[in-house]
Amino acid sequence: MIIAERKPISRILAMIEPYERVAVLGCRGCVAICSAGGDREVEIVSAALRLARKRAGRPLTVVEETLVRQCDPEYLTGLEELAKKVDAVVSLACGVGVNFIADRFPELRIYPGVDTSFYGANPALGEWEEKCRGCGDCILDFTGGLCPIARCAKNLLNGPCGGSQDGKCEIRPEVPCVWHQIYERLKARGELERMMKLFPAKDWRPAGHDGPRVRTREDLKVGN
Amino acid sequence: MSEMKITILCCHYTNQATAEDFAGIPAKIEVKRYPCSGKIEVADILRALEDDAEGVLVAGCEKSSCHNRSGSQRAEKRTAAAQKILEEIGMEPERVQMAFVPRLETGVLVEATKRLFETLLDLKSKEGTSS
Repeated sequence: MIIAERKPISRILAMIEPYERVAVLGCRGCVAICSAGGDREVEIVSAALRLARKRAGRPLTVVEETLVRQCDPEYLTGLEELAKKVDAVVSLACGVGVNFIADRFPELRIYPGVDTSFYGANPALGEWEEKCRGCGDCILDFTGGLCPIARCAKNLLNGPCGGSQDGKCEIRPEVPCVWHQIYERLKARGELERMMKLFPAKDWRPAGHDGPRVRTREDLKVGN
Repeated sequence: MSEMKITILCCHYTNQATAEDFAGIPAKIEVKRYPCSGKIEVADILRALEDDAEGVLVAGCEKSSCHNRSGSQRAEKRTAAAQKILEEIGMEPERVQMAFVPRLETGVLVEATKRLFETLLDLKSKEGTSS
């Protein structure tokens, strides 16, 4: 899922400083699962904003709402009405949701309430770890399912580097060297020959270095 | 000077304190009971402050005797999360405090409330000197 983190309330307050009525808009997708922007966080952020503004002597009216997803048009149909009630919207969705709404509702002032961080897994309650960089050219079949793009600080395709010490990364010693893990895993499987494959310099265009990426499936499109 | 308001958010099992028990504290004491202190959300704490409480006491069972095993530990973490938000908006985090209270020992709860009251008085006097 996409992992996000709430921005400091002081930062959100600065964004909405001129306004008297705002909506705090949550999303029940990834940000709800990673406890950054679901119903519960909408309540917390809204209460914090109201409290801060009340103490500043400039009370704020907050409309609290959470959409099923902010990245699908069918769930945005109520936004036009919502926009009439408020001066601005603080979205607790990931950057995808904020951009999508900004594209479709140019008149609506929308501000990000979270920082969108990475694609991650949830190994335990309250913990999220990056596992994928969305680079568009997956090589997990060669690396025992462990991604050197997301999990190696140097994104090395032919590792480990000389800084790998006792199975740990030299950049942050508490982090396992993923290339060490790949080696151990392939060795245990009797597949060490996979380590002999040399990857050429990576083409980063599928990773987004060629501009925004688009995916289409003609069989799903409606109309011509 | 208007009367100070303190809101106590507490576990239903923790105590059965009544207004009489708090009579020695010169503040308006509001008690909101929950099925378990683990049910108290960060937003509940913030809303209590929004509703003019100058301080909030979150009270749960002692860690070893929570009816729901870890409810009061959860409450402690949520209290810390609320304190962090108060810091972010420039409010004193000590306005929100957590107390672990032995079951049905009203005296311990009243003592914790008194301590919060004194903290709030102290903050008020500092506000007075800085303005």
